[in-house]
Amino acid sequence: MGRETFSANGLNLASTSELTRSLSSRTSRRRERLISVAELTQMAWQGIPADLRPIVWQLLLTYLPLPVAQRVTKLHAKRQEYLSMSTLTFSKPLEQLIWHQIVIDVPRTRPGVPLWADPITQKCLERILYLWAIRHPASGYVQGINDLVTPFFQVFLSFYIDGDPATFSPSLLPEDVLSAVEADSFWCLSNLLDGIQMNYIHGQPGIVNSLNKMSELVGRIDRQLSQHLQNEGVEYMQFAFRWMNCLLMRELSVENTIRMWDTYMVGSQAFSQFHLFVCTAFLLTWSRQLLEMDFQGMLMFLQSLPTQDWGDRNIEELMGKAWQLSNTWKDAQSHLGRNTPRRGV
Amino acid sequence: MAEGSNYDYLFKVVLIGDSGVGKSNLLSRFTRNEFNPDSKSTIGVEFATRSLEVDGKVVKAQIWDTAGQERYRAITSAYYRGAVGALLVYDISKQPTFANVARWLKELRDHADSSIVVMLVGNKSDLKHLRAVLTDEAKQFAMDNGLSFIETSALDASNVEAAFQQILTDIYRIVSSKSLDAADEVIQPSRGTTVTVTPQGGQKPQQQGGGCC
Repeated sequence: MGRETFSANGLNLASTSELTRSLSSRTSRRRERLISVAELTQMAWQGIPADLRPIVWQLLLTYLPLPVAQRVTKLHAKRQEYLSMSTLTFSKPLEQLIWHQIVIDVPRTRPGVPLWADPITQKCLERILYLWAIRHPASGYVQGINDLVTPFFQVFLSFYIDGDPATFSPSLLPEDVLSAVEADSFWCLSNLLDGIQMNYIHGQPGIVNSLNKMSELVGRIDRQLSQHLQNEGVEYMQFAFRWMNCLLMRELSVENTIRMWDTYMVGSQAFSQFHLFVCTAFLLTWSRQLLEMDFQGMLMFLQSLPTQDWGDRNIEELMGKAWQLSNTWKDAQSHLGRNTPRRGV
Repeated sequence: MAEGSNYDYLFKVVLIGDSGVGKSNLLSRFTRNEFNPDSKSTIGVEFATRSLEVDGKVVKAQIWDTAGQERYRAITSAYYRGAVGALLVYDISKQPTFANVARWLKELRDHADSSIVVMLVGNKSDLKHLRAVLTDEAKQFAMDNGLSFIETSALDASNVEAAFQQILTDIYRIVSSKSLDAADEVIQPSRGTTVTVTPQGGQKPQQQGGGCC
């Protein structure tokens, strides 16, 4: 039973069954009938059940094809492609500048979390980042992209194990499973980054543009806050640059991020467009506190926001607010920060 | 964290240098007496402040810690504007981070005010067994380029206080002796930020406006 479900995802884990969780037949049945986009979309809005998340993310990112029959072939091919690409790339001399930065950043990715402190995971992360950078010379590796790998890796790892991926020791995994997690993470990261490449090329115009829009949006929605920020000399660049560059991963836990991405996965432009509304809603969340603070107080506060206790409900609230903003301002948004009007859809 | 506005001078200082040399830990050691061996990379800029006493005056340092990666240069160099001091940090155990110091100086020349006070800081002095940059070599370089120089360890806290104390004192001396070249340029704060080298709270040991005396 479990075997069939796994193979639907293109995996043959017969040899490792003791390491993998045995899926309930209810889950299997749910996985079997996952073919409707409408169903996926609704699920993504509400938060995807953890056991289905690996597959649903892969489907929504169009990494996995919807028709069940094609999945095995596609997955097999993509994992093979990753392997050959990896072998080929690492047989050549390394691009020292890129490699150097990656090697500095990998050990400081999710510091203190056992999974990411493990040399095995760190090697995977190094390869993922380097391969992506080499394939995208206009941006190369940019600090912060390392953070964006971690939700994928943890979610895809969760497919094969019981318990919390963050505390899992990857040495317990058979090599083929680990390499599948790595390849899937790479391709899904690539799909995500394809939509926000402008954030990482020279001058980071995607981020600059988003910050301008955000400032304009806040000016229209919360005039008092906007005025206060301006009077105190707080610029969006000073605090929200990181919000854009790391998709709020420095402000929220990985669990929060994963829940947030459930919703982001729905829209084809969520990571580039919807994120702007999420950041705006996020800032407005703290409006009352910020109004009481001066320049220094605000910057210190915005640099370490009290989100430690945030759970799914906070994220859902944030997504709801962002959705409202996006509905109200989406059409106007195309006018923000530019002059060419675009017809709303 | 807020110390209110009980200070005589407010100086904006930037921390620059290659990725991984310990800029963020120097800042956290100085402002919070904390050291985190696995701190995350800095994205864009981060901000902190601390006040010190210099010659009986309260000097508040507003410090901008910048990301070391080249890609962020376009973003971070905007923060050089209005800075009166820069700590240019390298790692004494990594020769390339010292070799890059010249490039960072050029960054400052291109984007910062010409009167900015620059201190060369060799960090990680606790890594004695891994030393790759000789103290004398760095000292000579600093002298040749008109920089002050110090070696620090954010990890064991040695000289961190001294480094900030010294650069703030240097800035203070220049400001209070009115010998700051083109002072009017330097005092321009970027919109609304209270970056200024003019004395606060009614103190007035230097000119108001126009520096051409």
